[in-house]
Amino acid sequence: MSVFAAAALRRNPVWAQLLGLCPLLAVSNTVANAAGLAVASAVVLTGSATVVALVRKLIPKDVRLPCFVLIIATFTTIVGLAMEAYAFELHQRIALFVQIIVTNCMILGQIERVASQERVGRTLLDALGTSAGFAAAILVLGATRELLAIGFPLAAMPAGAFLVAGMLLALVRAVEEHAARHRSGNPGSPR
Amino acid sequence: MARGRRVKALQGIAVLGALALLAGGVLAWFSQITEDAVHRNRQAAEARVVRELAGADVEVGGVTGEDDVLFCRPGLVVLRGTGRGYGGAFRLAVAVRGDGAVAGVRVIEHRETPGFGDILEAGAAWLDSFRSGKVHAVTGATVTSTAVIATVERLAARGRQEACLR
Repeated sequence: MSVFAAAALRRNPVWAQLLGLCPLLAVSNTVANAAGLAVASAVVLTGSATVVALVRKLIPKDVRLPCFVLIIATFTTIVGLAMEAYAFELHQRIALFVQIIVTNCMILGQIERVASQERVGRTLLDALGTSAGFAAAILVLGATRELLAIGFPLAAMPAGAFLVAGMLLALVRAVEEHAARHRSGNPGSPR
Repeated sequence: MARGRRVKALQGIAVLGALALLAGGVLAWFSQITEDAVHRNRQAAEARVVRELAGADVEVGGVTGEDDVLFCRPGLVVLRGTGRGYGGAFRLAVAVRGDGAVAGVRVIEHRETPGFGDILEAGAAWLDSFRSGKVHAVTGATVTSTAVIATVERLAARGRQEACLR
């Protein structure tokens, strides 16, 4: 599997690693909000991972975490300012969740695991894959909640986020197990 | 050994310090680029709120932290002011009628915790309760709601003094 696909699917931040769930649950009430946060997270992740990959040899091991967080925080602030300047309506709705992208373990995890060790090209592919995987998860959750909310208002509320996310995760697990059984050529047997 | 550790520590401090300076520089540059657009957006948001409260198109001047009269005619005055909530400063506008009653409250910008800040959204029942004159603090959002009540009362008191209202 290519680097991009592996990061987006097999190691998907949401359904394989269960990272970045706070913004995922909070901002997935509509597709528009979900798309806004997905783009903001993608810019921060890709930008900071690339910078870290470029300067990784200059950063002493002891201070690498503060350095990574500083780089992530800089990108997050830039994205926040850009949104306030050029997408004010969206900023009014999701500004707080854009700010806490800094603390998203999905991003620090990717940087610690990939960007601080690999070449720029591979890091870039992995970061884009991770971003795409996060975007896929948050968009599916946002679309499902917005549709369900038409007849079932609970889906748009915070409690609905947990319920719908739980069911979607269960669905992904079921599909994965089904696929795994098919691959092992032993359909029907329990794990 | 001790010497090696000291060199390593100094290296770490130097790298982190240099990175922090660089980050500060980049952010200063970027906030300068976006400053004008952000300012325009805030003014537009205030103008929209005044239009909702007063039904009139008003040119809103500079966005300051001070209490300010945005619109005034006999029978209606709209004021804007800031208060400090749980998550930081918020800005809101209050419309006061000629008889001194509050005609409407709109929050222009706030940083309250999502969920708890929902009572501040336009159309929320709690903000409308200002028009009845009987407003209660909200359980679970005590800091937010009492700060908003205090700010609305301060602005309304000032609005009632405005000469142009009569």
